[in-house]
Amino acid sequence: MKKDLISMEDLSIQEITDYLTAAVKVEAMPLNERVQFLPGRIMATLFFEPSTRTRLSFESAMHQLGGSVIGFAEQSATSVSKGESFTDTIHTVENYSDILVIRHPGEGTARLAAKESHLPVLNAGDGSNQHPSQTLLDLYTIQKDLGKIEGIKMAFIGDLKYSRTVHSLIRALMKLNVTDFTLVAPESLRLQKYFMSNDEPGKYQFKETDDIEEAIKNCDVLYMTRIQRERFPDLVEYEKVKDSYVLTASMLKEAKEHARVLHPLPRVREIAYDVDKTKHAGYFPQMKNGVIIRQAILLKHLGVQL
Amino acid sequence: MSNNNEMLLIPKIELGIVIDHIPAGQGPKILDIIFQYEEMKDVPVTLGLNYTSKKLGKKDLIKLQMDYLAPEIIQHISIMVPGVTVKAVKDYKVHSKVVVHPPKEIKNLLECKNPNCITNSEAHIGTLFTAIDDSAKQVKCYYCERIFALDELDVVIP
Repeated sequence: MKKDLISMEDLSIQEITDYLTAAVKVEAMPLNERVQFLPGRIMATLFFEPSTRTRLSFESAMHQLGGSVIGFAEQSATSVSKGESFTDTIHTVENYSDILVIRHPGEGTARLAAKESHLPVLNAGDGSNQHPSQTLLDLYTIQKDLGKIEGIKMAFIGDLKYSRTVHSLIRALMKLNVTDFTLVAPESLRLQKYFMSNDEPGKYQFKETDDIEEAIKNCDVLYMTRIQRERFPDLVEYEKVKDSYVLTASMLKEAKEHARVLHPLPRVREIAYDVDKTKHAGYFPQMKNGVIIRQAILLKHLGVQL
Repeated sequence: MSNNNEMLLIPKIELGIVIDHIPAGQGPKILDIIFQYEEMKDVPVTLGLNYTSKKLGKKDLIKLQMDYLAPEIIQHISIMVPGVTVKAVKDYKVHSKVVVHPPKEIKNLLECKNPNCITNSEAHIGTLFTAIDDSAKQVKCYYCERIFALDELDVVIP
């Protein structure tokens, strides 16, 4: 039976752990071994929305595993621009490949593709809903950097309303017994309450605050996000909040020794360049982990046991 | 009002559908639902209000002279007025009886309020919501994963 990766909501703790364990094995493996896994297999990247890291890291991951890649990086280069439906596009591309990687601005698109197609579907971001491969790489980075995930204190800063990386990651962390969350966001970009909902009253603490320095002082991981211009229905609202929070190196003086700053990237202004040189900057290694975790994902969903 | 009086006011039917144990006052609401469906427009209907009920104190009752009530209509009623009993009558006898509760999955009935949900741009796929509690007061869109209170969603009759 084919296996899709659509939402962190679908994964058990064991399944999340399995991805992370597979990534450790992949990372330890020399490239000349990895290249033997997927010769002759084709991955289709269907990106209806711009991407640098997700698309290129998926493509790099597939090439390193010996497979090849077809696809498109913008909607205007496809028959969708002539009026073809999303489902017809899926039924077309599934004839040419072994696995589909889909990014789309509409929410629920990957779920729909998975329902329609006989191929495994990997969600590379659907609107502001989910981005599970990013979440798995975030978890892999936290595990590598801090040696554990359970029980850490998380702070999320920036756009918590529209950020799919935040939505995916918070729900996954809750499953993995992370209970202490500090949320810093402009009022119009606060996390929707239903992301905090759960069946265990009193277990989780969500502290909403404007005090970024207090959040920095207390957390183990500071997860920064970009205020996403493309998600705003009204650009006047974007202009009001675009520079709400800017992290600088001096603000990290009170941070815990081991604290890490992560960011799904791209950044615009929310992390000053002087943070890059601090010991806390974790976002470039985080990005590099993207290739490793996506190799683990591709292997699992194309039926390769490690 | 006694059971005998009830029998006089709404006589037994030879063949039909009886919707019973409707909380008093909710009968007209169910009639509104039924008449939203094109195939129900010409069905003879009897509506009884405020009958004595051991279970509810007061109840409403609807009899439809037809032999089949479509599952999507039953689904619709179960969401709007949960707990009513739908009986199929043949030869003046109750042939089958079911108490309807909100289903775990609500198909092609509710419109997703998220304008960015794929069900709004690819309408041919239909909609699917799953109940996240037993009373189905909150439901989750299968596609965009947003959670809504049931009463904030609009019903769409195909």
